[in-house]
Amino acid sequence: MAAPLSVEVEFGGGAELLFDGVKKHQVTLPGQEEPWDIRSLLVWIKKNLLKERPELFIQGDSVRPGILVLVNDADWELLGELDYQLQDQDSVLFISTLHGG
Amino acid sequence: MCEMSEEYRESAPKGPPQPRLGTQDQKCVKCKEGLPVVVIRAGDAFCRDCFKALYIHKFRAMLGKNRLIFPGEKVLLAWSGGASSSSMVWQVLEGLSRDSAKRLRFVPGVVYVDEGAACSQSPENRAKTLAEVKLVLQTTGFPWHIVALEEVFSLPPSVLRFAAQEPVGTEGAYKAAVDSFLQQQHALGADGVERKSQHCSQDPHSHTGPPTTAQTQALSRLFDSVKTLTAKEELLQTLRTHLILHVARNHGYSKVMTGDSCTRLAIKLMTSLALGRGAFLAWDTGFSDERHGDVVVVRPMREHTLKEVAFYNHLFAVPSICTPALDTKAPEKASIHRLMEAFILRLQAQFPSTISTVYRTSEKLIKAPRDGCAAGPRCLLCMCTLDVDTADSTTAFGAQTSHLPQMQPPVAQAGAAAGPCCCAGMGGAPGCCREDPRAQVMEQLCYGCRVNMKDLPSLEPLPPYILSEAQLRSQRATVEQEVREYLLGDSEDETGTGES
Amino acid sequence: MPAPQCASCNKARAALRRPRSGQALCGACFCAAFEAEVLHTVVAGRLLPPGAVVAVGASGGKDSTVLAHVLRELAPRLDISLHLVAVDEGIGGYRDAALAAVRRQAARWELPLTVVAYADLFGGWTMDAVARSTAGSGRSRSCCTFCGVLRRRALEEGARLVGATHVVTGHNADDMAETVLMNFLRGDAGRLARGGGLGSPGEGGALPRCRPLQLASQKEVVLYAHFRRLDYFSEECVYAPEAFRGHARDLLKMLEAARPSAVLDLVHSAERLALAPAARPPPPGACSRCGALASRTLCQACALLDGLNRGRPRLAIGKGRRGLDEEGPPREPQPSRPPTSQSVPDF
Repeated sequence: MAAPLSVEVEFGGGAELLFDGVKKHQVTLPGQEEPWDIRSLLVWIKKNLLKERPELFIQGDSVRPGILVLVNDADWELLGELDYQLQDQDSVLFISTLHGG
Repeated sequence: MCEMSEEYRESAPKGPPQPRLGTQDQKCVKCKEGLPVVVIRAGDAFCRDCFKALYIHKFRAMLGKNRLIFPGEKVLLAWSGGASSSSMVWQVLEGLSRDSAKRLRFVPGVVYVDEGAACSQSPENRAKTLAEVKLVLQTTGFPWHIVALEEVFSLPPSVLRFAAQEPVGTEGAYKAAVDSFLQQQHALGADGVERKSQHCSQDPHSHTGPPTTAQTQALSRLFDSVKTLTAKEELLQTLRTHLILHVARNHGYSKVMTGDSCTRLAIKLMTSLALGRGAFLAWDTGFSDERHGDVVVVRPMREHTLKEVAFYNHLFAVPSICTPALDTKAPEKASIHRLMEAFILRLQAQFPSTISTVYRTSEKLIKAPRDGCAAGPRCLLCMCTLDVDTADSTTAFGAQTSHLPQMQPPVAQAGAAAGPCCCAGMGGAPGCCREDPRAQVMEQLCYGCRVNMKDLPSLEPLPPYILSEAQLRSQRATVEQEVREYLLGDSEDETGTGES
Repeated sequence: MPAPQCASCNKARAALRRPRSGQALCGACFCAAFEAEVLHTVVAGRLLPPGAVVAVGASGGKDSTVLAHVLRELAPRLDISLHLVAVDEGIGGYRDAALAAVRRQAARWELPLTVVAYADLFGGWTMDAVARSTAGSGRSRSCCTFCGVLRRRALEEGARLVGATHVVTGHNADDMAETVLMNFLRGDAGRLARGGGLGSPGEGGALPRCRPLQLASQKEVVLYAHFRRLDYFSEECVYAPEAFRGHARDLLKMLEAARPSAVLDLVHSAERLALAPAARPPPPGACSRCGALASRTLCQACALLDGLNRGRPRLAIGKGRRGLDEEGPPREPQPSRPPTSQSVPDF
């Protein structure tokens, strides 16, 4: 049983537009059987934060191609992507590369 | 990014064709009589007979207008068991069954490559497939060659060498050859020549027997070692080409026909583009491909769409064999090949002119290096003229090979190490790491093959002919360099002769 | 899985893996490498000679923001001076916020800024007016087409106004890769033949143009902006991008996910395509109206404006352009505000 986690979720590069324009969200992930990883965080975001047009943010069980994910300011590709296990006080940043130029 | 220099153009593929009339009162657009059975080319409905005539005409016209295959020439039909190549084999059969004036005049044989080991097929299933393959081959009556992909482990290094072609057939030469063939035919009597020209009596069918377990394991180990499905697809394609080339050379075939349809070629073109093979698109997708010199690959099905092929095979009972492909059970991120195929077919469903647009654009590409790029050595694997420039150039290649010093190392970390040795990246500067076999191979590859090779962590599982040839070439380059230096040192005014 | 150490400084933890080399670098080393590469592109590609007065096409978006920032860092070494030129297309609501971002940048970086407006340059036509006019004639998708042509002209005018010798734009490797994909899908052989290269030398009296970020991928541009804490504007234009480019962009992102080097691989392909001489565009001549480089009687911008003024905007694009001639009375545009004088405001 994993304890509840407090993490900072941030959206940038235009991705915030899908979240009422709010960039920073301090959230508490409830305790659950399995440890929290990015995969389950995405499901949680879709249910709790995402305001409109989920397909512009999530495709399949991952983020839409073209959205960068940084965990504590490091590219998630270095950290195992969807399988990265969140720690208390982690910050997760989603930057869209698909908006404007 | 807004398209600041994106000028304009409103020619996105056109929308769907206008709705057709109900099929009840509709007639074939060609004969105006028959009941239409297939709709091709944005709304044209053809009856069975007119469709057949059109299909056959397209095949013969493609061969006829290119005048590349000489009478009496031995042509190897590369048959995978799939729909398009099966249809091609049956088109050749059809062409040979015609009366003498319209009969195809070349001498066909068929090659089938058993790729079961690369696709993790069980020995039982492979044997079952082979039995089916032989059954189909026997009904064709053509000489045939079945080779297992494992045989790449016994290929000679010479398969990777460009073999100079006999003087290219000109229009005059083609006519002369046709005339002499007709004369010969006349002298022998029409019936005699048919048997006579199929001069394959010595070994009409070759099947080297099942590969050894060790070879099968070696092949599985090779494919398992490749990190991405994209690179696996490319490796399979490369090895298959080498094997077919070897069979062709060994049995005196000077042409190889592949069954690429127009649909397949459009997908292949876009895939090649994404794989960094922009310089070679005309070879990869054109009607003829002369990169090997003595054996020319031709693609006579390139104006048939996959839909036409499927209908023809269904209506006229052309047999084909379904075998598992490399990408069965592929992961979600899949490969460049799968992504591009899905994308093009989806776009085609939305804009029915997509494939023909891509295909027509490909016709405007030429088989020549872009202005200012000199012809040089050939790629070890795909045998195209190398398309790489110097490291550190202001090109996409240069951007991946450059060894830029860190401009302003963060204050705390002055004296930071430079980039890694060239072997880690795209293959680095010539002369660097000469001793390293990996760098040696990398240096001999074109841009696209280098990118693929990055997904092959070790060279060791590669079949020996590739490594031997790489070593030979590298040694020859060193010797030539030494000779050049010797000559230059000997007499100042004499210029060194470059590599041929 | 902990992040590996930076392959360059061997001290900090890596923050990203570079798509081009697979190298894992920390944020600081990545930014340094990124700047060094742009410097190399400009120097080795001989894009901007010492003494150049460079007009930076500034939209407030990520690409031009990164371009302006990097060139400002490099300006002393390159011995160039910079001038931001922003174009006000006259798109209500959208452009004001973007221009505000450009103004903030100019103030923070102490760079001169000039804004040129479509309405002033093009006889009262704002993008909103163009959109209304084209909406009646069919697909509004052609908005981007009009806007692209006009913006190119506006940037050129703005650059001349500030005495620039060179124009730079923020196009990156993804833009080039998308364009080559689109040109194949749309069968535009002429454009394919022109592709590749980092810019145009400025034939026919036009200012030389270049794209110093063309070998940098979108991903790296965005990460650079992130690590350098650059403030940019990231809202989509109200005239959503042309649907077809959207397809190409989605495809590119999927290709990049399957193989990180795919963007540069496509750029390499574009650099190396060889087209038959017949497919190459004819050598350009001069526009009979404005004197700019043109492959037909009228340059694209003049042809577009001509069509708009005659109430037949579709004439100027695609095949219709061939039927375009100089006859017919010009029609009054229907701008949202009265046409202003032809003079260009200076900020």
